[in-house]
Amino acid sequence: MRIDSSHRNWAVASVSILGLATLLYLPYSFFYPGGARGNSLPGLIYGVLGYGMMLYAGLMGARKKVPLWRIGRASVWMRGHLWLGALSLPMILFHSAFYARGPLTFVLMTLLVIVILSGLTGAMLQHFLPRRILSDVPLETIYEQIPTVREQLRAEASTIVDGLCRKSGAVAVAAPPETGRSAPVATAEEEEGLIGLTESERMNLRQAYNTGILPFLRDPESPDSPLGDAKHAAVFFEALRKQLPTSIHESLSDLESICDEERQLTRQGRFYLVLHGWLLIHVPISITLLVLGGIHAIVAIRY
Amino acid sequence: MKTIELTIDEKPATVEEGTSVFDAARMHGITIPVLCHAHNERPVGVCRVCVVDCGDKVLQASCVRPAENGMKVFTASEKVRKHRRMVLELLMSDHPSPCARQTVSGDCELETQAAAEGITAPRFSKRVSPRGQDDSSLVISVDHEACILCDRCIRGCDEIRNNNVLGRRGKGYNAGIAFDLNRPMGNSTCVSCGECMVSCPTGALTNKSVVRTVLPGGDPVGADELKQLPFFQKVSGTFLELNKNAVIKRHFKAGDIICREGDYGSTAFYILEGKVQVFLQSMMSQKPRPAEPPGLLDRITHVFSPRRQPPNANQGNIPIDAIVDLSREKPVAELGVGDIFGEMTCMSLYPRSATVRASTDCIMLEMLRNVLDVIQRNKTLRAEIEKNYRKRALEDHLRTVPLFATLSPEFIDELAQKVELVRYSRGEVLCSEGETAHNFFLVRIGFVKMAQEHPGGQLVFAYQGKGGFFGEMGLLKGGIHEFTVTALDNVEVVRIGATEFRGMVDRFPDVANSLRRIAHEREAHNARHSAAVAAVSLDSFLKQGLMEANSLLVIDLEKCTRCDNCVKACSEAHDGFTRLVREGLRFDKYLVPTSCRHCRDPLCMIGCPVGSIRRRNSLETVIEDWCVGCGLCARNCPFGNITMHETPDRSGQKASVKRKATACDLCADLPEPSCVYACPHDAAHRVEPNHFFRNLISAASDENMFVTPADVEGGSRLER
Repeated sequence: MRIDSSHRNWAVASVSILGLATLLYLPYSFFYPGGARGNSLPGLIYGVLGYGMMLYAGLMGARKKVPLWRIGRASVWMRGHLWLGALSLPMILFHSAFYARGPLTFVLMTLLVIVILSGLTGAMLQHFLPRRILSDVPLETIYEQIPTVREQLRAEASTIVDGLCRKSGAVAVAAPPETGRSAPVATAEEEEGLIGLTESERMNLRQAYNTGILPFLRDPESPDSPLGDAKHAAVFFEALRKQLPTSIHESLSDLESICDEERQLTRQGRFYLVLHGWLLIHVPISITLLVLGGIHAIVAIRY
Repeated sequence: MKTIELTIDEKPATVEEGTSVFDAARMHGITIPVLCHAHNERPVGVCRVCVVDCGDKVLQASCVRPAENGMKVFTASEKVRKHRRMVLELLMSDHPSPCARQTVSGDCELETQAAAEGITAPRFSKRVSPRGQDDSSLVISVDHEACILCDRCIRGCDEIRNNNVLGRRGKGYNAGIAFDLNRPMGNSTCVSCGECMVSCPTGALTNKSVVRTVLPGGDPVGADELKQLPFFQKVSGTFLELNKNAVIKRHFKAGDIICREGDYGSTAFYILEGKVQVFLQSMMSQKPRPAEPPGLLDRITHVFSPRRQPPNANQGNIPIDAIVDLSREKPVAELGVGDIFGEMTCMSLYPRSATVRASTDCIMLEMLRNVLDVIQRNKTLRAEIEKNYRKRALEDHLRTVPLFATLSPEFIDELAQKVELVRYSRGEVLCSEGETAHNFFLVRIGFVKMAQEHPGGQLVFAYQGKGGFFGEMGLLKGGIHEFTVTALDNVEVVRIGATEFRGMVDRFPDVANSLRRIAHEREAHNARHSAAVAAVSLDSFLKQGLMEANSLLVIDLEKCTRCDNCVKACSEAHDGFTRLVREGLRFDKYLVPTSCRHCRDPLCMIGCPVGSIRRRNSLETVIEDWCVGCGLCARNCPFGNITMHETPDRSGQKASVKRKATACDLCADLPEPSCVYACPHDAAHRVEPNHFFRNLISAASDENMFVTPADVEGGSRLER
């Protein structure tokens, strides 16, 4: 969710409501008999408004469970969730006259602050992170598909290395009989467009794969692997290129691309956790807040 | 009759006046080599192999030179043999050796005679410009390279069979044989009688082995037995002999399934005895049974998510690969003796469109497409099929088109006598843009493409399958066709002449109004389409096929938080099967997910055997419930936006699953696509791409910077 010009109306309305509520709060705070209190009529009105806004914000989660219900576009609900949710804090503060008397109200106030702060954090993350993902993870895939894609990448890398390290048995390929000329001999590798490596080059490649590339592909998030870092990976592959003939540099570039994609997937996983991780705090605390807020309302009115 | 006396190779001979020297020699046991002359054909003297010395100034072609009284003929003198060798050598230099016939049966007449004269390698250089081959016929292979222009095939076709299909084309070195006005043999009016093939002295016209000429199982039917059947009486015996086992007789007991919907096949069936029932097994399998009233919860939720009936959802019939269509209410039909079914499957290898079950004990002839092709080309049999069609199916077919629903039965009877059933082969043009409109067409079998020429290439406006029609715009507006219509496979159309069409328009104002409205709609649609295409210039935009989309789902990746609410909503809206995968190509900051684009040129619609993937006179491409699960549309979609799902089949008593194709239907029964409606971040949009991306396109065009699919795969942006 980007907080952009499409939020203008919500922002204007929210600021206006906040301004009006503040304007009303000032005389209420100074001139109301007994001072501003939660159980006074204006205080109750602020409380009802604040709780109503929290309730509306909380219904966002419920609305997502019924995507087919035509009860307003989800994007409208989300804007309401953001702005009214944020507005609920000053409303509750006006309701409580900036005091938290008693353990329940103190807990409620603490929870509300946590919810609002976590919500603001989430909104900021959702504002900035998608753009970062777009630029930093061009090969982004569906998060749940990452393990499958990784498996495919490992198989691809293995195929490339196995192909390069295959021993070059000189298999004679006869020239077509209709030419009538003596048959030039081509190796099977030449037929396939591959050029054989010497024994030592094969060993070097195999060793680099077994000790560098494969461990990285198996555990791309390991801090020990040099390939986890783009600069180190570039040095690693540059060194490998110097050891091996230019004819296989294209294949080495493919291996480098596979490692790069692995890094991107790791980055995507991290972004994903950050982008959605804050909800682990925001959602349960919001539910607790709403439940306790309800209890607070009943207790306050009943007693 | 007056007789004449002459000597041939110093032997006295007496023949009737008017006899040719060639025949006179043959009657007296002297063989003169010849290529262009056959005993049952009129002599033309074009090959010059039969030259003889009659004492004239020059050597004479014996096949056309009449014998004269006192004539002294030498058929094998040194001079004659020298000339004959020269002719054979010249012919051999223009003939592939060995040709197809020589390779298979070793009896190419030219090569045999050349070998007899000791000609192994001609002294003259071979032809440099190839004359080509024509493999368009299912029955006969035409190798123009091997043709020696003897014209025996032409005389066989025109004079013996009176088909008048074959003739000459070109002049001099470029001369050759031609079918009709130089059309490919398969697209010509050739009836595949085989006379040309039998007449040909070389491998220029040979019997073609089809991929599978032998049908397994069943009782083989010999050519003689087939000739006893009225249906095959007019088919060439030569052809039937050459295609043994391409027709077999099968016996079915009542209740036996003859073919199943969705199966791939390559044969057609002709009912010799008994009756069969044609039906769709999968009909309505995805919809809840009407007997179950909605529950209380359903009624409450319906208040929040009202579903509307899509327009035209239940209009018209279901087209199937038989002479009849199936009604949507009761999708069952019956066929009897003399009916053919499976023509489209046989000719174009489409999946079977319906299941056929024997309702009584039946005897069927199952045939491969080379046989069906010959039958369909045979004029007498065509007339029979047409008569049957006019009698039984034309009215139903016309009424399938909603705008003809008001035609009176009397008019249809009248029309039935005047319409023509015309066949076209793949690639044939039915009418050309800018050409005078003479006909209105109604598609009976196959698919056609309607396109216009634009700078930069052809622009496809629509595909029409069975029940589709075209030509009305030309007839109603200025008499000029606005499209070039091309057959995409073996197509059969009902052709209604301009006079009958105008008569219909004059007599039935409702039909006239409907036709005018449709013509206007098509015209407006075409104008929009042309304008949209004209506005697009960006290479990558075109490469990704984005301009082809009518409605493109795009996700703004700067707004999307990857919450997958769009996918969940889609799944919720479609019985738990999502029609959207949040992965695909990218264009700038937008992801184009895997979801139907409702293309302007919906290739997916080509070939659907039951016409279940279609448009309902509206934008969205929908897959109707009677999909038989053949998967052809999924393979045809160039963007992989159609997926096959196993869905619960509730049509029978037993629980089973049925394979169905699914694609985004834009939630046609809801006011807005669910994916867009459910996106909390305002990131998902259904857009008209040319409009939506117009700023981006013009900016990218200015900067020469754009993203190609390959770039996206590599994750880079390229400057050009």
